[in-house]
Amino acid sequence: MLRREDPELLKGKARYVADVVRPGMLHAVFLRSPFPHARIVSVDASAALALEGVHAVLSGADLPGDLGPQPCNHLYHGQRETPYFALARDRVRYVGEPVAIVVAESQYLAEDARELLQVEWEELPSVGDVEAALADGAPLLYDGWPDNVAAVYEAEIGDADAAIAEADVVVRERFAIPRLFACPLEGRGAVAEWDAAVGELTLWTSTQSPHIVRDYLSWILHLPEHRIRVLVPRVGGGFGAKFHFYPEETAVALAARATGRPVRWVEDRLESFVGTVHARQQVVEATMAATADGRITAVTAELLGDQGAALHSVSYGPLWLSAVMMTNVYAIRNARVRARAVVTNKTPSGSYRGWGQPQANFVVERLVDGVARELGADPVDVRRKNFVAPEEFPYTGLFHTFDNGRYASLLARAVEVLDLPAWRRRQEAARAEGRHVGIGLTFYVENTALGPSRKLNAGGVLAGGYDIGHVRMETNGEVIVYSGLCELGQGFTNGIAQIAADALGVHPDQVTVVTGDTHACPVTGYGTGASRSASVGGASVQKAARKLRAKAMAIAGHMLEASVDDLEAENGEIWVRGSRERFVTMADVGRAAYLRPIELPEGMDPGLEAIEVHDPEWMAWPYGVNAAVVEVDVETGEVRFLDYVCVHDCGTIVNPMIVEGQLHGGIAQGIGMALYEELRYDRDGYPLTGTFMDYLVPTAAEVPRIRLAHDETPSPVVPTGVKGIGEAGAIGSPSAVAAAVEDALRPFGVRVAELPITPERVLDWVAQGTGDLVA
Amino acid sequence: MIRVRTTVNGRVREAEVEPRRLLADFLREDLGLRGTHLGCEHGICGACTILVDGEPARSCLMLAVQADGRALTTVEGLAPGDGELHPIQQAFHERHGLQCGFCTPGFLLTTHYLLARGEDLGSDEELRAALAGNLCRCTGYQNIVEAVRDAAARLSQGGLR
Amino acid sequence: MKPPPFAYAAPASVEEALELLADPAHEDARPLAGGQSLVPLLNMRLARPSLLVDLDGLGLDALEWANGHVRIGAMVRQRALETDAAIAGRLPLLREAAAHVAHVAIRTRGTVGGSLAHADPAAELPAAMLALDARLVVRSAAGARTVAAPDFFAGPFTTAVGAGELLEAVEVPVPPARTGVAFVEAARVHGAFALAGVAALLRLDGGGRIEHARVALCGVAGTPRAPEWVGGALCGEPPDERLFAQVGERVRDELADSADEHRRALAGVLTRRALAAAAARAGGGS
Repeated sequence: MLRREDPELLKGKARYVADVVRPGMLHAVFLRSPFPHARIVSVDASAALALEGVHAVLSGADLPGDLGPQPCNHLYHGQRETPYFALARDRVRYVGEPVAIVVAESQYLAEDARELLQVEWEELPSVGDVEAALADGAPLLYDGWPDNVAAVYEAEIGDADAAIAEADVVVRERFAIPRLFACPLEGRGAVAEWDAAVGELTLWTSTQSPHIVRDYLSWILHLPEHRIRVLVPRVGGGFGAKFHFYPEETAVALAARATGRPVRWVEDRLESFVGTVHARQQVVEATMAATADGRITAVTAELLGDQGAALHSVSYGPLWLSAVMMTNVYAIRNARVRARAVVTNKTPSGSYRGWGQPQANFVVERLVDGVARELGADPVDVRRKNFVAPEEFPYTGLFHTFDNGRYASLLARAVEVLDLPAWRRRQEAARAEGRHVGIGLTFYVENTALGPSRKLNAGGVLAGGYDIGHVRMETNGEVIVYSGLCELGQGFTNGIAQIAADALGVHPDQVTVVTGDTHACPVTGYGTGASRSASVGGASVQKAARKLRAKAMAIAGHMLEASVDDLEAENGEIWVRGSRERFVTMADVGRAAYLRPIELPEGMDPGLEAIEVHDPEWMAWPYGVNAAVVEVDVETGEVRFLDYVCVHDCGTIVNPMIVEGQLHGGIAQGIGMALYEELRYDRDGYPLTGTFMDYLVPTAAEVPRIRLAHDETPSPVVPTGVKGIGEAGAIGSPSAVAAAVEDALRPFGVRVAELPITPERVLDWVAQGTGDLVA
Repeated sequence: MIRVRTTVNGRVREAEVEPRRLLADFLREDLGLRGTHLGCEHGICGACTILVDGEPARSCLMLAVQADGRALTTVEGLAPGDGELHPIQQAFHERHGLQCGFCTPGFLLTTHYLLARGEDLGSDEELRAALAGNLCRCTGYQNIVEAVRDAAARLSQGGLR
Repeated sequence: MKPPPFAYAAPASVEEALELLADPAHEDARPLAGGQSLVPLLNMRLARPSLLVDLDGLGLDALEWANGHVRIGAMVRQRALETDAAIAGRLPLLREAAAHVAHVAIRTRGTVGGSLAHADPAAELPAAMLALDARLVVRSAAGARTVAAPDFFAGPFTTAVGAGELLEAVEVPVPPARTGVAFVEAARVHGAFALAGVAALLRLDGGGRIEHARVALCGVAGTPRAPEWVGGALCGEPPDERLFAQVGERVRDELADSADEHRRALAGVLTRRALAAAAARAGGGS
C-alpha cells in the first residue's frame, strides 16, 4: 500500500512549522551563550528595543518569578537535579544555551536587534570532556555537588570477577563513542499564540510528544492543561531529538504572552548544532571473558556518559540503556555494569534513534569479535555458540526480559544472503593484489514497544508505556482514528489505518487518522519514541476498532435479522455468510447509529465510538544481522562499501515498504556514526563543529545499496504480533562497519575501538598497527 | 527596496524587496510558495534547490534581486494539475522515495534537471554522485535512487513536461 | 541566518562596476559574482559589506579562444567548464577540477572568477590554474594588467586584486599534444571541501620521455602550491611509478610547515596518483 500523505508532500503543499502563518505574527530569534560556562551579570536590551520593528526582548531577568524549571520525565533513583529554565537566569553552562529571545516584525530584523544586545559576562572555568570533568579539582557545574557526576547506575548478574578469573581468554578494550545528534533535516521550531480573552495558549511545535509539551508547559506556566492546545504540523524528521521538551518552546510561549501577538521561531542550522540535544557520547572500558571453545562467560563494562550541561527530558536514559544492553543477544550469565552520568560544559545529551543501544551493540559486538580473534575462531561461530536459544524465552538478561527470537537461524540466513564464503574468497584474492577488503557481520536486538507502565514508573519514568486508541465511525460509515502519537515522516498512520481497516472490515481509504492535536487526540503514555507507534499504538487502535466492530456487527445483524456470528465484513460491507446478496453497508450502520436509533437493537445506545487502552505486558524485541563488506584505501584512509546486507526479524510486518524504508534510513545514520559524523569540542567546551561543512551527514554517494531480507516471527507480547522497527538500522550498523574495517586492516594488527573511522584515524592505525596479527 | 520581476512556474511575479532578502524567503514568505524548504542556509543540504532558467540553484544562496528577469521553477510548478502528479513525483510516490518529505522538493528539482538533460544516468555510482548535493536524513537514499531511475523510464516513454 | 543590511547595485559595464567599487561612500563595497561563497558568509553574518556590486550584467561570461589560449570571463559559471565541449577537448584539466567543486547546483551559480578571487586554500580551480600556467586579467579604472597565477594567490582568501580593481578574466594556455592531465582529490564526503587535491600536467616527447611536468596542490597550505622543482625532477625521464612516488614523498616532506600530518600524507599519495594518471593519459602508461 502506498502512503496516503505522499501527494501532499510531493507537491510542496505540506505545511511544516516554518509554514505556519498567523495574523499579526512576529518572528523570534535567540541570543545564545558564546561561553561554555559563565555568569550573566547583566543584559542590556535598550539599543535593540530602540530599533524600529522590534517588539520585545526577554532575558532571564524578565522571566516570571514563579516560572517552573524545564522538567525531566526520567527521574532515575538517586539522580541529582540539574534545574534550568527557558532562558538562563544567571548562569550559562554550555555554548548555545538560550539567554534572550528577541521578537521583531521579521527574522531579518530580529537578527539585527540581537546584534545590539549588550551582555556583561563573567567567565567561569569549564570542562569539555568527561575525563576533565572527573579530574581532581575540576570546575564544578553545579554548586553544592561534590563532583560532576549526576548519577550512577549499577547492575550485576552472576559473578563476573570469578568468571573472568577462570576464563581461558579475556579481551579488554577502551571504547570511545563520539558525540552525534539526530540532525533531522527540518530543525525544530514553534509558533505560539496567546488568546488573552479565553486565557488559552496554542502552540504549534515540531515535536514527537505533544502531550508532554502540553503537560510541561502547564507545570511551568501554571496554566491548566485544558487551556493549552499543542498542535503538531508536518514534522520533517525527529529521530528522537524532537521527543525532548525544549527551553525555546517555553520562551516562545512567554514571548507571545508578552507581546500579545503570535510569535514564530524557526531554529536555523547553526543553532541546531548547539541547541538540539546531542547524543551517543560515551567512554566505555569493557571486558569479555570466554572459554577456549568460545563460550562467553562474562562481560563487564564501566561506562562514562558525557551528559553535557544538564539532564534533559529523558535524563541519562540512553546511558542507562547502554549499560543494561551489555549482554546483547547472548546468554551471558555473569555480567557487571556501572554507568556514571557525567556533566560537562556542552549541549545536553539525550535521545537519538537507538538511544543507548548503538553504543552497547558496538561495545559487545567488538568484544565478541575480539574473543574470536584471540581464539582464532570464526566470529560467526562464536556468535552462534552464545545465542539465547529459542526455547529459553522469555529470557531475562541484565535487566530486560526478551520476548522471543530465532537468532541462530537468522544468522545462518544472513551468511547465505551475503554469500560469506564467496566474499572470503574475494577478500583473499584482493589481499594477494595488495587491496584491503574486510567483512564485518554483527548481531543486534532492538528494544521496542516500550512498556509496561508500572515497570516504567518503578524505574523512575514519569510517563506510562500505554497508548490510547480512539476510533469513531461517522454517519456515512467512514472511520476516524485519533491517536496521541505523531507522524514524523515514518508513515505510521498508514499502518494504523490498515490495522483499523482490517479490524473493522472497511477499506483503508475509508479511514482517516488524526494526530498532533492535544484537544482532539487521546493522551499517549510516552509519545512517539522507542519504536512504539506501530506496536503499542497499533495494538490500542486494534483493540478499539475491534470493540467498535462488535457494535457495528450487532447493528448489522439486527438489520439483516442474522446472528452476529454469521456475519462477514470487508470494504465497508457486511453480509450474511453464504449469501453475499444479503448485505448492509457501514453507511447503513452509521445512519442507524446516529440518525435512526429506531433501527438499533433494543436497549443499545446510539453512536459508534470506542476508546481502548493498550499497556504492553512487556517489550517486544526485533533482531537482525548487519553484514558490511568494505575496501579500505590504506594510503588515503578512505573506506568504501563493496556490499551491505541486513537480514532481520521484526515480527509481523504490516507494510513491507515502510519497514524497508525504516531500515535503509537507520542504516544510513549508523554509517554516519561509523564513518563521518562527530560533534567535536575542545577541552574547555567550545564547539569545533558548527556547520554542514564539518558535521558530515552522509550523502547518496557514501551510503551503499543495502540488500535486505526478512524473517517474520510474531511477538507473543503484542496482540498484532508487530514489533517496532524504527531504530533497528541505526543500532546494528556501526558495529558491522567497524568490524569490516578492522577485518580489512587485519594485516596491520589494527583494532577499531573508536568512532568515527576517519581517514586520519585509519592512517594513524595503519602506521601504529602492531602488525602482530598478520593473517 | 528594489523591484524584482520574475517568472515563477510560468507566472510573472513582481515585488519590492530589500536587497538582502534571500530568494528562498522571497518565494516562501512573499509569494507563499512554501514548498521550497530551508534546511541549512549555507548551501549544503539542497532542500531549497529550485530551477533558475532551467538549471538547479540553491535559493538560500541567491538574493531575490539576483532573480530579476529570470524564470524560476519550484516544486509547486511540477504537477500538471491538482489531482495529478508529475511522472517524477509519481515515481517517488510508488518507490517510497520520501519519508518526512522535507528534502523532497529539492530532490525532485535536481531529478528534473538530470532527466531534462536527456543523458544516460550512468552507473549507480555516477547517479549517486549526481544526487549528492541533496541531503536526506530519512530514506538512506536507496529508494530515491530507484525512484530517479523509475522516473527516467517513465519519461523516456512520455517525454519531460 | 539572514544577511545583515546592505545596498545593492547591478551595473551594466565594467567601468561602472569599478566606479561603484571605488566609491568612497561605500568603503566596504564587495563584488558579487556567483555568490556561492559570499552568500553563506552573509547568512552567517561573517561578511558585512555596505554595498554589493553584482557582476552578472557586465558581459564577463564568455569563453574566447585565440592564439593558443582561452580567455575565460570571470563570470563564466563553473558548470560551463564541465559541459563545454571545447574545454573538454582542449583543457580537460579544467573540466576535471570543476567537477570536484561542491555540487552541480553550486556550480551552476558559482563562477570561475569568483572562485579565483575568493582564493579559498581548499579550492580546486586556483590549483588547476597554477598547473596550467594561467594568467589573470585584473582591471582597474587605469586599465588592465595581467598577473601570473603564482603571483595572484597571495595568501588564504587574499589575492593580488587591489582596491579599485576587479578580476576580469583568466587566460589559460592550451597545452600542446601529448599532454596528459589529471585532478585527484580526497574529501571526507562527496562534494565536501578537499582535504587535499592535486592537479598534474605532464607532457611526453616523441620518444616517450617526460618533457614538461607541473603539479599543483590545494588544501595543504594557505595558497595553492606548485613546487617549481617538479619539472626538473621529471623531465628527461620515462614515466615511472617509482619516480612519481619519489616526487610525492618530496612534496609531502616540503609541506611540513603548512599542513598537518594527514594532509601531508595525502598530498604525497595523491601527487603520485595524479602523475601516474596524467602520464597514462599522455600516452605513456606507467
